[in-house]
Amino acid sequence: MSNLKYAYFPGCPSESTAIDQDMSVKAVFERLGVELEEMEDWNCCGASEVEDPEIVYALNARNLAIAEKKGLNIMTPCSICYYNLQRSNKVLRENEELRKKIHSIDSSLTYNGGVEVKHVVDALVNDIGIEEISSKVQKKVNVKVAPYYGCYMGRPPLTAFDDPDAPILMDRLIEVIGGEVVPFDYRKAKCCGGPLMMTVPDIAFKMARDILEGAKNAGADCIVLACPLCGMMLDAKQEDIEEAFGIKIGLPVLYITQLLGLALGISPDKLGLNKNVVDTKAIVGRVV
Amino acid sequence: MIKTWELDPNFKYEILKEPGGEHLTACFQCSTCTLGCPLTEIIPTYNPRRMIQMSLLGMRNEVLSNPDLWVCLICQTCTARCPQDVQIADLLGAIRRIAEREEETGKLKISSVRPSFDKAFMHQIQKYGRLYDMGLAMEYYKVKEGSFIKGMMAMSKDYKKFGMRMFKKGKMGVKSMFPEKVKDREVMRKIFERMGAEKK
Amino acid sequence: MGIAVIGGGVAGISAALDLADSGYKVYLIEKNAELGGKMAELAECKTGLSPRIVKIQNHPNIELMLSSELEGLSGSAGNFKLKVSGGKEIEVESVVLAPGYDIPDSVATSYGYGSPDVVTSLEFERMLRAATISNELKRQSDGKPVKKIGFIKCVGSRCQDNEICSTACCAYTAKEVWVVKERFPDIDVYVFYMDVRVFGKDEELVADLKDNYGVHYIRSRVPEVLPEGDKLIVKYEDLRAGKIEKLELDMVVLAVGLLPARTLPRLAELTGVKTDEYGYIETSISSPMETSVRGIFACGTATAPMKVRESVGLASGAALKAALMSQRTERIPGQEERKYIEVKEDEPPKVGVFICDNEGEISKTIDIPALAERVKGLRDVVAVNSANTIEEALKALESGIVDQGLNRVVFAGCSPREYEDIIREGCAKAGLNPYLVELVNLREQCAWVFDKNVTDAAFDILRMAVERAKRLEPIIVERYPVVPRALVIGGGISGMNAALDIADAGYEVYLVEKGEELGGGLRDMGDIAFPGGESASKLLKHYVDRVTSHERIKVYTKAREEDVRGRAGMFKARIVGDGVDEEIEFGACVIATGAKEYVPEGYYGYGSDNKVCTLREFEKSGKVQGDTVVIIQDVGPGLKEGAYSSKASNIEAVNAALKIKEENPGVEVFVLYREVKTYGKWEVLYKRAREKGVLFLRYEKPPEYKNGIISVFDVIFNDEIQIKPDMVILSVPMVPAEDNKRLSMMFKIPLKRGFFMEEQERPKMVLTPVDTVNEGVFVCGSAVYPAMIDECIAMSSAAAGRACVLLAKDFMETPAIRAVVNDEVCVGCGVCVQICPVEAIELTEEQLPVVTFGVETLVGGERRIAKVGDGCIGCGSCASYCPSGAMSLQHFRDKQVYAQLDYA
Ligand SMILES: Cc1cc2nc3c(=O)[nH]c(=O)nc-3n(C[C@H](O)[C@H](O)[C@H](O)COP(=O)(O)OP(=O)(O)OC[C@H]3O[C@@H](n4cnc5c(N)ncnc54)[C@H](O)[C@@H]3O)c2cc1C
Ligand code: SF4
Ligand code: SF4
Ligand code: SF4
Ligand code: SF4
Repeated sequence: MSNLKYAYFPGCPSESTAIDQDMSVKAVFERLGVELEEMEDWNCCGASEVEDPEIVYALNARNLAIAEKKGLNIMTPCSICYYNLQRSNKVLRENEELRKKIHSIDSSLTYNGGVEVKHVVDALVNDIGIEEISSKVQKKVNVKVAPYYGCYMGRPPLTAFDDPDAPILMDRLIEVIGGEVVPFDYRKAKCCGGPLMMTVPDIAFKMARDILEGAKNAGADCIVLACPLCGMMLDAKQEDIEEAFGIKIGLPVLYITQLLGLALGISPDKLGLNKNVVDTKAIVGRVV
Repeated sequence: MIKTWELDPNFKYEILKEPGGEHLTACFQCSTCTLGCPLTEIIPTYNPRRMIQMSLLGMRNEVLSNPDLWVCLICQTCTARCPQDVQIADLLGAIRRIAEREEETGKLKISSVRPSFDKAFMHQIQKYGRLYDMGLAMEYYKVKEGSFIKGMMAMSKDYKKFGMRMFKKGKMGVKSMFPEKVKDREVMRKIFERMGAEKK
Repeated sequence: MGIAVIGGGVAGISAALDLADSGYKVYLIEKNAELGGKMAELAECKTGLSPRIVKIQNHPNIELMLSSELEGLSGSAGNFKLKVSGGKEIEVESVVLAPGYDIPDSVATSYGYGSPDVVTSLEFERMLRAATISNELKRQSDGKPVKKIGFIKCVGSRCQDNEICSTACCAYTAKEVWVVKERFPDIDVYVFYMDVRVFGKDEELVADLKDNYGVHYIRSRVPEVLPEGDKLIVKYEDLRAGKIEKLELDMVVLAVGLLPARTLPRLAELTGVKTDEYGYIETSISSPMETSVRGIFACGTATAPMKVRESVGLASGAALKAALMSQRTERIPGQEERKYIEVKEDEPPKVGVFICDNEGEISKTIDIPALAERVKGLRDVVAVNSANTIEEALKALESGIVDQGLNRVVFAGCSPREYEDIIREGCAKAGLNPYLVELVNLREQCAWVFDKNVTDAAFDILRMAVERAKRLEPIIVERYPVVPRALVIGGGISGMNAALDIADAGYEVYLVEKGEELGGGLRDMGDIAFPGGESASKLLKHYVDRVTSHERIKVYTKAREEDVRGRAGMFKARIVGDGVDEEIEFGACVIATGAKEYVPEGYYGYGSDNKVCTLREFEKSGKVQGDTVVIIQDVGPGLKEGAYSSKASNIEAVNAALKIKEENPGVEVFVLYREVKTYGKWEVLYKRAREKGVLFLRYEKPPEYKNGIISVFDVIFNDEIQIKPDMVILSVPMVPAEDNKRLSMMFKIPLKRGFFMEEQERPKMVLTPVDTVNEGVFVCGSAVYPAMIDECIAMSSAAAGRACVLLAKDFMETPAIRAVVNDEVCVGCGVCVQICPVEAIELTEEQLPVVTFGVETLVGGERRIAKVGDGCIGCGSCASYCPSGAMSLQHFRDKQVYAQLDYA
């Protein structure tokens, strides 16, 4: 895989709340021999808070332009960053008028449509490939996993790279490293409530509770996901959710790259597994 | 009962012009969006289809002051399934922006705190080019609670346990006290100014 | 040379037969190993289609190329060279494309299609077929009986992947539901829909399902089916209660849409025909069978999604158009003289019994070998044969007659209605008088009705049939020449188009219009045009010019036809009008009397309030008043009051709304509707109208108009909405032409709700959309059902095509079967006199003696009895209408019937 190289877009939470994801992505790609070059001076994608799509397009025109100058495709581990980068990419490619309008703001926003945007799961399964990964697997992951995809891998259609209701790409990754995927049905892609975490927390908590309990009832040992906001909701806030509803969950939540990293024989520390809020030791212990 | 002559027939065109609202009138009221929306499990009366219908009919005030406008998760389930490509998640965003502008001009009072949060978030990007968690929290709590002091108190209460938890895991530390900044911050300001200004 | 038909579904089959039957050489190219297309997969249809398939297989003018595909096409109209797989090359003058449709490859995962209890409608057809035989509808997952079933409509239609409406699914869902409810009345049925787009008798069927069968029609586009335990959960919006409801079901049927055949892109590339934006073969509103390449025509679902009725109609039309470009080179079957083996009265009967299993249908319940063994033992039975398919049975039959000298035949299989012609023709070919055959319906009359001892019952039926066969007598038919002229009644678009097509085919046409000018309804439509179509006024001019200048068309305006006599091939009538009174003779007749707008006197102040007008009045003037326009759909009598909702009015109203909005963006336009019925590609009109800002409000209770305010309870909004209109446009039903009643009596074609009935009046399939019970008389356009202009043109070409098939013959035969009255039973009511299409029955008077009965004295006097004259064509109408059962057909009578009864 030596010829594969990405412009890495870490996303805002990479240095703080999702530092574990950032670490594990870098470690896994290194192990797979795929080079990540962090984009220089990238800016925020706009998250879900910038609601005016035109501002989102302009913000990401800059990011896309940075990668384009390097002649690299973008890979990002965050689902929301992916959504914003990708929709900007698609819309800007189609809409010349908009491109001109954005270009007129500043020359650093000049993007010519030459970049592909990849989510980390898309890159792993479709660019690097299950076979390639399988050839590097060193350990078996003896755990039952509830794969949680959240909203933006299969939706909306403009940017989706998996099924909107029954996504499967992470399932395939989990299976190739020996994990058992528990039946998680529609919850796989049901919203975790993240976007309302700050403004309407009671709704957000109810949404997250449904995912967590669903995973637990399905017999999962852990949840695996690939988005910092979902991680925040299901992992970092899990204790608050337990408290709010007077329930006990205690379900470890891992980034897919963390679980994959273990199977590839990377040390737990390098994967940031000590930084997940719900303790992951039990899971780590079952990777042999 | 509603009397159409008391409504605003131009409301639908106003939404059509707002980025994200371009597909409003394609809706044929099929209920797909409402039936798949996960929020309806929590708020049984939540009904994006009906919000669209009210918008089409021109019930401008009722729509803009509807608290349900502010709870959409932007989960895109509705958008993915809508047979008419109405892009409901973006559409609701477009309506929210019209409401925010109404509030700015004093014509409307929005009960939700979400606009404050969104604005605080945008200010971080405008200022630094990246999200500055601490800055966001401080600004948001200040606006939400009405003053800086009250905001700080509310924030420290909310964050007491959570902050500790994150701190212990090394996810929130000295580093998060200071903003990450992009070098070219001037362009950020320009983006918000230019893209924001034209839509009126 | 000849004509190539590509695709052997119902459309291709029908086109091929029409052509071959009128003497053209046909190459029928089908990519599958069997004919029939999708229709062969449908639950109740195989049987309807099989006779046509068998006919094709035995047709001297058809070269059947199965498992074949087109590989190349060169040349041009009049001389195409086709390369067909397997290295074959053929030369033809014209080509008919009928590659049909496919259903979507996949549906959204949210429908839970992975579950064995969630099936597509096509899969459900197969399940239904099995269920009607086993008498159980079971879940595929666990074999438990289905108690609650849901049908989800518009799956893969009217959506982003497939913008248009698939047209057939609303109707086929109703049909499937009907079959379920008929067979399994206890199953609870839910149908989820957005609009119920059914027309004509399908509309009646849906009303019946709702009102009398207790089927729940619920307006919600259900987006997901969630498995929960062994149940399937669907959610729908209860609009009235304003909440979301959950429903547990045992089974879900996805009414999937129709897409252009997957082979179509390649076919289009090879032939050069253009496809439209939805991938269908491009045709136009005014020439619905013509492709972009001269000499290549298209029909069936390759041009747009449609039902069998329309597919067959287009097929007949396309066949005619293709024929116009080709030379007739072959003989027409059945026109040659026949010689039959002489069967003397005292000659001992030698009966052959042939049992057709209909591909396993019969043997499911009847032990055929055992049955055959027992039949062999019957007296005078010299041969018994059982075959799997009708073709095999036919072969055995022919060789039995030739080799074993059979002089009577009993043929047992499915409904004889479907096979009669083929079997009689088979006998005739082998030299046996075709009326020495007795037909037995083992399926409907035996396999499907008896639960126990079915084989015994079958034996009894066969034994009776053998007895009857022994007493059959040969019937000799007479021949008479066909008059190569046609009468077309009605000078609207359908009539003019039919006249032109027939005249172009080389026959003379009398075109009779009762009004002062040609044009009919088109005259009222002014300059309005449909997207992609010409304006009504342009179309009108084009047609009138062509008709009036055609050398073979004789136009009579302000005239009418009277005194119709005769039968197919040789009719007589008088044309009476302004200074004319002419006796004419013609071989075929096309009735195209159209329909007209209902006058909504008294509705919404129509007539007194100058804000209010009808749709056609608006179309004619094109003037918009004020800033707020309200269009009200379905004003006036509805289904319950004896009218049909009209395809045309419904769609024209949407078109008008769009036009108003396009030309006056500042005007607010409301359409108050019951169902938006923009079927097929018309869906685009609905979408465009919405996009432009037209507001659609759905009502169940008719809106009210008082003091200048319209109040409508919008059932989706679940509240009353009031509008102050400046203009109110009423979309009213199209009602049948007044003259239909008179014509119906004269031609003896039954009317339904004032419209002419097609020959086959069943809820399922219409394979003969323009034929009527009176052979030689065809109906089309809005005289059958108020249709859109493209459909009127297609159907009138179809009627013309069918008429030409008849006119192509040199002579016809008098019918062998005649009506006979049982004097004792006849009560003299005269019903048969009214019904008889050829006026062959009269009432005669007879003196009755005085009779006493106990103490009562029944005074005699005059008694009236029906008497059948020579004109009888044996259509059987009288026999089926006779209330006292006095009328019967000769072939089913006297000693034959008594013999049968003796053994019953
Ligand atoms: C579930 C279901 C139920 C239905 N029920 C009803 C009903 O009750 N009543 C009704 O009126 N309609 C019904 N319909 C619609 C009906 O099936 C169609 O109207 C009808 O079958 C169309 O016939 P066709 O000949 O146009 O197409 P098809 O039946 O699709 O026939 C096309 C034929 O062309 C062949 N072909 C394709 N490409 C090539 C090629 N390149 N070369 C050679 N051959 C080719 C195909 O193999 C096929 O045999 C139903 C449809 C569905 C899906
Ligand atoms: S799914 Fe789309 S078309 Fe249906 S009601 Fe919602 S917005 Fe309208
Ligand atoms: S995007 Fe909003 S409205 Fe749409 S389904 Fe998700 S929460 Fe509901
Ligand atoms: S509305 Fe059209 S697409 Fe939908 S089920 Fe009815 S016929 Fe099919
Ligand atoms: S034959 Fe039948 S219908 Fe005719 S007059 Fe006699 S009873 Fe009436």
